[in-house]
Amino acid sequence: MVKFTRMALAVLTGLFAAPAFAEEAPTLTIYTYDGFASEWGPGPGLKAGFEATCGGCVVNWIAADSSIGTLRRVQLEGDSTPADIIVGLDTATAGEARDTGLFLDHGLALTDLTLPEPWTDKQFVPFDYAHFAFMYDTDKITTPPKSFEELIAEPASFKIAIQDPRSSTPGFGLVLWVKAAYGDRAPEIWKGLKPHILTITRDWSESYNLFLQGEADMALSYTTSPTYHIVSDGDHTIKAALFEEGHLAQTEVAGILKSSKHPELAKQFLAYLTSTAGQKIIPTTNWMLPVIDLGADLDASFEGLPQPTKTLTITDADIKAHGQDWIDEMLAAVQ
Amino acid sequence: MAHPLNTSLPQRPLRVAAGTGLAIAIAALIALVLWAILDAATGATGRPSRIDIPHLLRMTSIQAGLTTVISLAVGMALAWALNRLRFPGRDLIVGLFASAIVTPGMVVAFGMLSIWGRNGWINQTSEALFGVSIGNPAFGLSGILFAHVILDGAFAARIMLARLDAIPQPRLKTGQSLDLTAWQRFSIIDWPALRGTVPGLAAIIFLLAFTSFPIVLLLGGGPANQTLEVAIYAAVRQDFDLVGAVRLALTQIAVCALVISAASALAPIPTSLGPSIAPKWSDRLGASIVQWIVLVLCTIGFVLPLASVLFDGLLNGLGRVLSQPAFWWATLSSLLIGSASALLTLVFALLLAMGRGATANGVARTMLGIPAYAYLAVPAVVLSLGFFLLVRDAGVSTSIAAPFVVVVANSLLALPFAMATLGPPLEAIARTRGKLIRSLGISGWRQFSLIEYPLLGKDIGVMLALAFCFSLGDLGVIALFGTQDFQTLPLMMFRALGAYRTNDAAAIAALLLIGTIVVFVGLPRLIERIAHAVR
Repeated sequence: MVKFTRMALAVLTGLFAAPAFAEEAPTLTIYTYDGFASEWGPGPGLKAGFEATCGGCVVNWIAADSSIGTLRRVQLEGDSTPADIIVGLDTATAGEARDTGLFLDHGLALTDLTLPEPWTDKQFVPFDYAHFAFMYDTDKITTPPKSFEELIAEPASFKIAIQDPRSSTPGFGLVLWVKAAYGDRAPEIWKGLKPHILTITRDWSESYNLFLQGEADMALSYTTSPTYHIVSDGDHTIKAALFEEGHLAQTEVAGILKSSKHPELAKQFLAYLTSTAGQKIIPTTNWMLPVIDLGADLDASFEGLPQPTKTLTITDADIKAHGQDWIDEMLAAVQ
Repeated sequence: MAHPLNTSLPQRPLRVAAGTGLAIAIAALIALVLWAILDAATGATGRPSRIDIPHLLRMTSIQAGLTTVISLAVGMALAWALNRLRFPGRDLIVGLFASAIVTPGMVVAFGMLSIWGRNGWINQTSEALFGVSIGNPAFGLSGILFAHVILDGAFAARIMLARLDAIPQPRLKTGQSLDLTAWQRFSIIDWPALRGTVPGLAAIIFLLAFTSFPIVLLLGGGPANQTLEVAIYAAVRQDFDLVGAVRLALTQIAVCALVISAASALAPIPTSLGPSIAPKWSDRLGASIVQWIVLVLCTIGFVLPLASVLFDGLLNGLGRVLSQPAFWWATLSSLLIGSASALLTLVFALLLAMGRGATANGVARTMLGIPAYAYLAVPAVVLSLGFFLLVRDAGVSTSIAAPFVVVVANSLLALPFAMATLGPPLEAIARTRGKLIRSLGISGWRQFSLIEYPLLGKDIGVMLALAFCFSLGDLGVIALFGTQDFQTLPLMMFRALGAYRTNDAAAIAALLLIGTIVVFVGLPRLIERIAHAVR
């Protein structure tokens, strides 16, 4: 029995460790969240695309279970981290990441960006974005609420599924969105939302599935979520409800670590990530909007996507100073 | 002869020493994990988190206490019904019940919603036929309890059924000839056999419910229903307050230790054990009717949610999943991880349970009982962080260490369940056959190979099935390890869910469930056949 165990372990190690040994060419080690690196995500396409242009380098994705997990891992590893780049932090966590002092200036001009707001970040490069929004099913709801206040005015049987701000990026995004839209009135809005909150899940996927299963009328997701259903199932019934208050955008970013042994190569990767070739891969794998104008290369499902007319913003400094208080405020209001 | 006079136990100092050694090793590992985190915390900056611990403890204890009581009651009723009733497909039903606890909690919760939810089968039928809605029983405290009882009640039933099935045949014959009523049979014959399992099961179920995290958030309806585990998760991930995380973890460990020590100290000595043969017992009509009602209710409550998982998964997306090479790699990883962990769990459980069975000293028995629960008491996110730091401090590449860490962690995860399965029968053997063993002067090894192994065959099978299925996929512990090339089926399922691939995830969930049922129906039979062939 023990022998078998040992054998099985040896096979296991061989099986999973093999990719780590196969390296002679310069290897770019990139930490990201697991959805990004998975077979459905942009990871494989970006790896193939960049390796074809960089002249014999190797891209090695290392996937942690969440984007915040990649940052925590780098913080724990400090200067000894094998990572050259982190891909997948977002605008709400970038401030905290910057303060660790672990990130290098990217030095890219980034002149072609088509983000809703001008980009001034010196350490982090944006690679996709979408606005937070509530999804609804046109078969079930003909007139979706057009603001948080209209949502609050729905009958109590109208349920939404949202995410816990302490464990989920969109969950935190909603806290910021309400704050950006209503400021000091935020607790009042949360109190109004409380009867409509079916539940507050750990991850985005759980809320979204409650919505797809018909348990909730709406779920917090992204304005771009409908494109997945259009592209993959030809289903046009899932739509994002646009709110008059305006929407907060989540922009995903990448940054180079100071401890990288290949900073030039890392910079090339970020340039590729924001180039037309790199950006073409992202919309139909990560289901977010590109950060440059792709013209005809952007999938048609994105072209017809309703976009909010007003984009709300919150500064890094505010998030860092007050984020925790806002989470507490929200939790207290819906308690 | 230096034998204590009051015991009929054979002297097995090696067994006690081996069990003690393992217990100390597990305690040391947990201490190392916490130390590694505190050590790393000195360099890290974090905001201290503000959590109302007494409130959380109160809410969680109520929820976990209710879960435990209901699960044990339901489990006992179900085990009683299944032990008496014979019908075609019984093995399959038993397998289905047992598979709930090892199926990822999220899958069971969503299965429950597709039956009992607002848009579930029952509400849709009710609205179509009677125009009446059943409301939303699946959310709030009732929803949490329901999901937990589906997971834990069915598990309790499986373990109790094994004890009822092992009641020696002569005892039943005597009972039948005395014309015992159903109640008399339960209180005179069944209860003494079941009693030994109750403290261990209660501790496991309480700890599972106490530390339950995604289900509580999914069905809880808001922050009013929450567990310490979510606060610890937030401390580690959001706030990066490592000292705070260790403090919270210690709070959780302390509460869990109380429960565990009570269970370990209270566990009575089971009295009877025979080779498991399908018992022949005929109850009167009234009792049979109650048994059928229990079975049908439990089937509607427990089996339908799982059936809906199969239904959803096999209907959509199965072809697409089967055609992905990644699926087959994940299957291979899961099988290897599951087999390695199951065997390691068996070794761990035998060492601890035999050490425990070989001593009559109350303190030693308690100390040997506690380490089995280590994994349940320590929050997964803390274990994950600690393992990551330990591996790094040891200078080992995290991608090489990942499979080993998963195997060890999964073995610890399955250990309490293995102990609940193997502990009571091993003790029963030591107590009932101890005198015989001593008078024959049988060695420890021969005691195992000639007496324990043949009698335990089916239990070892149940234990291996439990450990194997648990280990198919718990990856919580390598969250930080970087696991792109190392994927098991449950991880692939969660990744699919996170990437909008609901159908793929449903198909994987259905396949996992089928695999689990096959293992639960097949392994106990296989091992029992092998155990008996050896003789």
